[in-house]
Amino acid sequence: MPKCIKSGGQAIDYAAKLLSPEEEEPFEEHLKNCLDCTEAVQSFRTVLQLTDQAQAELRVPELALQDIEMNVYKRLAAAHEQTLLSRVRASIANFGSLFRGPRIAIASAIAIALITVALLMGNLFRSESVPPLPETYSAVARIEQYRQQDIQRNLEEALITHHLRNDAWDTESRLYRMKEQADGTNWMAVADAHLQNLQSGTLDTP
Amino acid sequence: MDKLIDDEMLVAQFQSGRQNAFDELMKRYKSKIFSYLLRSVRNYEDAEDITIEVFFKAYRALDNWQPKAKFSTWLYKIASNLAIDYHRTKVRHPVYALEDMEIPEAHLVATDLHSDPVQQVEDQERGRIIREAVDQLSPKQKAVFMLSRYEGLQLKEVAETLDMAEGTVKIHLHRAVKRLQTLLRPLWENNEI
Ligand SMILES: [Zn+2]
Repeated sequence: MPKCIKSGGQAIDYAAKLLSPEEEEPFEEHLKNCLDCTEAVQSFRTVLQLTDQAQAELRVPELALQDIEMNVYKRLAAAHEQTLLSRVRASIANFGSLFRGPRIAIASAIAIALITVALLMGNLFRSESVPPLPETYSAVARIEQYRQQDIQRNLEEALITHHLRNDAWDTESRLYRMKEQADGTNWMAVADAHLQNLQSGTLDTP
Repeated sequence: MDKLIDDEMLVAQFQSGRQNAFDELMKRYKSKIFSYLLRSVRNYEDAEDITIEVFFKAYRALDNWQPKAKFSTWLYKIASNLAIDYHRTKVRHPVYALEDMEIPEAHLVATDLHSDPVQQVEDQERGRIIREAVDQLSPKQKAVFMLSRYEGLQLKEVAETLDMAEGTVKIHLHRAVKRLQTLLRPLWENNEI
């Protein structure tokens, strides 16, 4: 005997609570007299229960979420650099095709290298050849901001370690890590001062 | 956080040059999008990479975004498309699929230190079997199932997210549940899960 026509989609919708009140009531009425649908609803409910449980077990740890913003801005900055580089490559390819010969090839290879370095160190092409991409410039600024926050966090952690555990080795390695991160900023001097105080035993916590 | 400012307002602020508005949007959605992708691709590193890609794409497209739908729906749309692409690539390169089977899930699952370890292993095993069954759904069935069951989207919103008619969403959902029933029923009838 063929199964009741409602034991398919309707039973699923009922088990998944997707029926509107106007649909739900007559279906419940129907359930009272239909074994097919009663069995189907029970079975679909089990499916949903099992999958709900299995999915609820998957959790994203807080720690993993911490760096998402930073990585998004890094990704934006990398895409920006790539755009610049591909434009440089394209313009040099055009230039190179005007001349032939290995010397020109070597010269243009060197030129590419030089321009690449210049690009990565400072925005050489900001003004003319490449129109500015405002969103990615601010991404670069944002990365810098995150770096500064990270430096400060490491400093705080170093001081907290010192204060709570008085672990000179750990404090020192944290301060060195902070100093490394702070390369090229005023924070380096701050790190040095703290390291000196730590070594002379005069490091105080804020 | 002050949800008084709604997402669409934050988008408008971002469009008029306020950078922090995007940070606030990321803060609101990174956990949701990450979990959604983790459920979908079931691989921790890939879920993280795709989450970053979602916000990367959103950032670059946000200037031209128009409030035709909710911001969250739009974000889920980007995530769903990337997840579907991911599954397609995986089908084309079955080597990865094999590797994925070997990835221990233990570190994905929150463990309770106080419960019985034997029970815990059994629970984890049961969870793994069920999640593998969900993996056997087609990418679209899976997307519909996840969005409607776990992301709290109305069928209408699922339809917008996946560019489908609402009726099509229902068909995919019904097929998904029936397929899961076919896969799981023998297991629970034999007390294997
Ligand atoms: Zn019936």
